[in-house]
This record gives sequence, C-alpha cells and structure tokens, in this order.
Amino acid sequence: MTKKIAILLFALVLAPGALPAQNETTDALIKSLAIKVKMYPGDYKAYAGLGAAYLQKGRETGDSADYELAKAALSRSLDLMSNDPAAAFAMTQMAAACMAEHQFDQAYIWAQKALAVGSGDPSPWAIAGDALADMGDYQNAADAYSMLKTVYGSEDEQQAILYQRDSRMSYLRLVAGDAQGAIQLMQGAVQTATAMHMPAENIAWSDYQLGEEYFQTGDIAHAEQAYLAALRLYPGYYRALAGLAKVRSSAGNYRAAAALYDKAIAAVPYPEYAAALGDVYRAIGDSNKAQKEFDLVEFIGHLSGINKQIHNRELALFYADHGIKLDQAVVLARRELEVRHDVYTWDVLAWALFTNGESKEAAAAMSNALSHGTKDAQLFFHAGMIYADLDDSLQARAFLQQALAINPHFHPIYAETARQTLANLSTKTGSSPIQEAANAR
Amino acid sequence: MKKICLTATAFLLALFAHGQSPFRGLTPAQQQIAWSQAAIQTNPDKAQPYNDLALGYIRRARETGDNSYLNQAEAALKDSAKRVPGNLEGEKAHAMILLGHDQFVEALQFSRKLNQKTPDDILTYGFIADAATALGDYAEAEQATQWMLDLREGNIPGLLRAARLRVIYGDTDGALDFYSQAYQQIPPTQTEDQAWTLTQMAEIQLSTGHLDEADSLLRSALQKFPGYYLTLEAAARVETARHHYSQALDLLRQRDDGSVSLSSLYFLALTLDRAGDSTAASAYKGFELKALNATNEAVNANRQLVLYYLGRGNKPAEALRIAEQEVSRRHDVFTLDAHAWALCANSRYGDAKKQIDPVLALGIRDAAIFYHAGAIAERLDDYADAVRYLNQSLELNPESEVAVEAHDALAKAIAASAMASNKR
Repeated sequence: MTKKIAILLFALVLAPGALPAQNETTDALIKSLAIKVKMYPGDYKAYAGLGAAYLQKGRETGDSADYELAKAALSRSLDLMSNDPAAAFAMTQMAAACMAEHQFDQAYIWAQKALAVGSGDPSPWAIAGDALADMGDYQNAADAYSMLKTVYGSEDEQQAILYQRDSRMSYLRLVAGDAQGAIQLMQGAVQTATAMHMPAENIAWSDYQLGEEYFQTGDIAHAEQAYLAALRLYPGYYRALAGLAKVRSSAGNYRAAAALYDKAIAAVPYPEYAAALGDVYRAIGDSNKAQKEFDLVEFIGHLSGINKQIHNRELALFYADHGIKLDQAVVLARRELEVRHDVYTWDVLAWALFTNGESKEAAAAMSNALSHGTKDAQLFFHAGMIYADLDDSLQARAFLQQALAINPHFHPIYAETARQTLANLSTKTGSSPIQEAANAR
Repeated sequence: MKKICLTATAFLLALFAHGQSPFRGLTPAQQQIAWSQAAIQTNPDKAQPYNDLALGYIRRARETGDNSYLNQAEAALKDSAKRVPGNLEGEKAHAMILLGHDQFVEALQFSRKLNQKTPDDILTYGFIADAATALGDYAEAEQATQWMLDLREGNIPGLLRAARLRVIYGDTDGALDFYSQAYQQIPPTQTEDQAWTLTQMAEIQLSTGHLDEADSLLRSALQKFPGYYLTLEAAARVETARHHYSQALDLLRQRDDGSVSLSSLYFLALTLDRAGDSTAASAYKGFELKALNATNEAVNANRQLVLYYLGRGNKPAEALRIAEQEVSRRHDVFTLDAHAWALCANSRYGDAKKQIDPVLALGIRDAAIFYHAGAIAERLDDYADAVRYLNQSLELNPESEVAVEAHDALAKAIAASAMASNKR
C-alpha cells in the first residue's frame, strides 16, 4: 500500500498550483485557507486549495480523518465550480483523496472527469493509471501513463509531467518482472527531479522509491545508498527511515533497525512499520516489545472506519504472518480483493488461505499473483510454501530458491524459514510447511 | 454545406466539457444523466447535482440532435435554482441552453453579464465566443477565445473555438492543428467528444477537396460513436462529392432515423435531386413548407431556404426577402454570403459586392463563397476578379457542390474578358 499511496500523492505536489512552497507548513496553510473560505464562501479556488492542503496533511500524518476533510472541502469547491477547465484541479484532488481511501473505482472516475473538462493538463492520467494499476489492470494503467506528456507550459512543467510518467512506468516494469528496466526508469526520474530542483521531499521520494526497487531485487548496497540519499536531502523522511531499517534488519543489525523503525513510526504510524518493528524485536528476542508493536498494528488498523478500509491488506498479512485471527486474515484479504486486484492483494489472499490450511485455493490465488511475472522474494516465498504443502516439491524448491536468490535476507524471520523448508524438501524430512511457518511465528 | 455545421457549432462547442461515470453501455451523456440522478438521490438538497443533470441533458441534445432534451435541462435548472438561486454553474448551463436554442443575442448578453461576475471563468468566455461567432462578431469572438487560451494554455474548449475561428480566417492547416491538439487530449471515455472533433476535422478536409482524408476521419468518428448524426451527415457530403448518390442517400436516411432537422431535410432533397430521384420535388416541397413555418423562429433554416429559392425553388424575390430578414438577426459569413447571392439574383450586383467583400476580407476559403464572389464580379464586368475568384473556388475544392457552376462561370468570364480586351 505504502508504495502506491506514495506514487499517487506525489502527483498532488506536481499538480499545477497544488501546494505552496514547502517551507510554509501544512498546518499554517490549512489555517489561512480556512479563514479565507470563511471570508469568501464563494471562492472555489480557496476550497480546492484547502482540500489539497488537507490531503497533504493526511499524507504527512497518516490520519485518515484528513482525507475526509479534504473531500468535504473539494466537494464544496466543485459545488461552486465544476463545468469548467478550472475545475480539473479540484477533480484531480478528489481523485487523489479517493485513492488515499482505496476507493479506486471512484478515483478513476474523478480522474476521468478531470480529463473531460479539458484543462490541457494531463496530470489526471497519473491517478487514472494508479487506480487501474491497483485494480490489477496493468495494461490500461500503462496506456494511461503513456498519456503523460504535454506540449504546453514551461519546459519545467513539461519535464514534471515526464517525471510523473517515468516514475510510474518504473513501478509497472517492476510488477512485470523487469527490475533492470524499472531501475533505469527510476534512476532517470531521480536525475530529472534533481535537475529540475524539485522540492526536497519529492526528490527524496524518488530516491526512496529507487531504494525500494533495489531492495526488491536484492541489491542491498545500492538500496542503502538510495535510502541514505533520501535522508540526506530530506532528514527524518519516514519512508526512507523504514527503508533503511529494512536494510539494517537484512544485515542482522536489529538494534539499528528497531531505532529506525521507531523514528519512522513517530513520524507516521503506518501499521506495516509497527509490524516490521515487532518482527525485529522478536528477532532480538524481546517478546514484550514485540507484542506492544503488534498491539499497535491492530490499534491503528481499527482506529476508524476508513482505516479499516485502507489497511485491510496490511492487517490480513499481519494476521497471517503472525498466526493470529487467521480466519479474519482471509476475510480481510477477500474484502480487499473486492476493490483491488493487483498482484500483492492476490499474494496476501494466497498467504492467508495457506495459513488457514487451504493450500489448493491458495495456489490458485498465487497463480494470479505471479501471472504478471513479478520477481519479488516475498511472492516466491509464499508460493514455495504453498507448493511445498501441496507436496509439489519441484515447484516449491524452485520458488524458494528464487526467493533466496533475489534476496537472502528478504525478511528477518521468513528468510530462515525458506532456507529450512528448502533443506527439508531436499531431505524430504521434517514437519509440514504450514507447521514450519507456524514455528517461525 | 459547411454553413450548416458551423451554425450548429456554436451550440455544440458549448457542450465540450464535463465528465462521465462508469455505467457501461450508455453514451457519455446518458452516463452523466444516470450519475446525476443518483447524486440527486443522495444529495436532494444540493444544487450541483441538478446542474450536472442539466448538463447531461444538454449533452444528450448534442448526441442526438434532439433539442427536446433542452427542455428537460431547463427543468433541472429550475430545481437547481430553487436550492441555490443564481448559482454560477446553473447560470452557465442556462447560457448553454440559450445557445442550443440558437438564441444568440440573448446568449451573448447573458454570457457577458456572467463574465462580469466571474471574469476568470474559462467557459463563460467560450459562450461569448460561440454567440459572437454565430452573430458574425468575429472580433469579439477572437478576443474571448484568446482569453480562454491565456487563462489556461492548451485547454480543450479554447482550442476548439480557436480552430473554428481559424476556419473563418482561412487558416485551415492551423485549424486542423488545433483540432488535432484538442483531440489528443480527449479521454477515450468521451466518445462523442472524440467523434465530434474528428467530424469537424473531416469537414475541413472535405471543404478543401481531400475526400479520402475526410472519409478516413469520419470512419474513425463512427467507430468512436456509432450512428452519430453529425458524422453521418458529413459522410453523406463526402459521398455526394464523389457522386455516389445512393450511398449518400443511405447515409442521410440513417441520419434521419434519429432526430430530423430542417437543414437535413434540405440536404436530403438536394441529394435526391442530384441523384435524379423522382421524389426530389416532393422532398423540396416538404422542406419548403417546414422551413417557411420556421422563418421567424430562432431555430430556422432561412439560409437553406434562401439557397433553395435561388435554385430549384426559383423565387429570387422571396429569397432576398428571407435573406434580408436573416441578415437583420446575424452577420456571420454564411448569412452575408447568402444575402449577397440573393442580391445578385435580383440584379443588385453593387449591393451584392458590398455584402460579400467583408466576407472575403476575413480570409475565409470556401468554394461556394469564392464562386458567388466570382459570379458577382462577372456581373459587374470585373473579369479579372471574376476569373481569380472562380479559379480559387475550383482550386480549393474541385469536387465542391458548386464546381459545375463554377466551371461554367469561369468559361463565361474568360470569354467575356477576351471580348472586352478585343474591344479595347
């Protein structure tokens, strides 16, 4: 989720007139715009700006209540002005707010509406593509991203649009298993962002994203460089902190990893960060601290109705990974699948089914997850465990070997489980894969 | 024939906005109507869903050519105004309805007032441009269109209006470029918008004698929005230019399966006539009766009626009377041209020249207008101009609907010119 949200919210920053200079804090901006709309209740631009500011606030804090405030302000703006190219900005922001709340179909519709008013700005294609990608329609997502080009505006504005295209295309390449192509596109995007002197947070996001791609391909050294570059540019950037924590964890440096996760959570309490921190504490052997983090995961996940909607997949994975509320894991994963059909949702459903002993059904879900050729250690690990349980040792070995080949340290606990299961498969002894997974917990 | 399209364009361009919803199998306008009705159920106290509903009906009028949808739009706007009196979006939709009803003077006045209230609203400039273009005030139309493009570079409604003005000013390549820029930005869900733009491009290709290019664009348009009446009508014109009258008649009958307009009745009669069909006379008669009934209405076919009386109808005095009536309402290039042609048919050649000269001064490149200018010049014994204009007509479009007459007139003008030289 984090990855996709990051991509989409980045679009907001690039949208024309979206946000003021970064040195102006979002809170101050919200305050001034709130005063403005009170003074001028017919000012559609002020309402649109207020909506964008709340969205930015939500991005900074992870508090889903801000998304609702954003939508209310944007809705008011669109009540005042909707049949005009000038309404494209509020419509695009509305699309982004819907994405943030995982209302992908609504996000797509709003993006289309923004395009239909014909503002001359192709930015809404970015969100249309994001929504399609999350709905698992990668081909149409690529088509949407390919529309991100323009002959209007300054050279910088044109470059910014190309940046949006390339950074998104990079993600699609990664999903398609073309890691090299993905990395090349993202490297280009980082260079563009730097050359254009984009706001520090934007460049940092690009570096972070590059780090994620390196990490996914097992190139830990380059991943570390990219995360560090992001932090140099934008100190305290929570995404880069979490990325660097993964790097430290994969090297067995759990205490450093825990400290980094702590900082990331202090900035934005995403449940996946708390779950990862809990796993790190478990790896250290501090079960009390681990449990505190696991409790935090559930607390965040259930904080509000919208949070439940946003964090279905993360909670499902968390339950399945940690052997708790296993039936609930399947329910949540299926609920997520109702709105999201991307490879990672299929993967989580497969994993949840496996932990419930439904390995046949899990294999079917897994084949959907792998159907686009994604080369991700976590996906291969899950597939390996599922096929091992189905006594298809040939397939199981192949998948587990792929997982470990991509990244021998892909998870602080499950990397070892993969090695153990592979060893058992070789000797054809030992406990069942489900038991192995349970033992790992 | 381009005249008909450009008359309708004022209203049609006004609709070029607004989104759609995911209701599959419905046209974009039907989707918008369904979407808005659902929004009204959810938010019955808000004005905006009623405005959206009105826009949906206005779009549906464009999709079908059936202006009765405009009455439904008006009803939705009343509901909107009950909730928030004088709301801007409702008033903008009202301007679109005025344009749809060809009430150009009222639309222009209303849009100017809206513009004073909200000078940064792009579409309001568009409405001013639409009404001014239809009334023949190209300077105001140009100024308003320039505002649109200045306020937001590359916006689709601005590009489309700029393209239309480029046609008026004779820059057909520039017009095609603007239409193409607009087309590339239209999302694929907006199928009717795509088809409309492709049809406008095809009209330009047709007017310059590029029949294959026109045909190809129209085929694409029909793929995007099957059965679109504007595209079918343009395709019929292409087939007429190719002298494929039976195909043209098939297309016109398909076109009239939906809503029949006065101008389409005239075109049908004209095509039957060219095809040598025995029903042509009754088709003309049917058109004449209906067009005469509408001469005082805002939505009329006065220009077609003038052309009919100057041709098969053979009532030049009646043609002039109607042309004068129409020219008192509007001064667009096609009305001025029809008036000039009627004056010429009534032997008022000097007056005819006075009418057509300002049209030519705009730079417009239209085979029929060049032919009329050439014929008028020939009557005034200005053989050099006559030969020049008639050659322009034939060079621009050797397959135009006036090509045969232009050839005859050119031969006459050349002969007369030679005789005049010999006398000297």
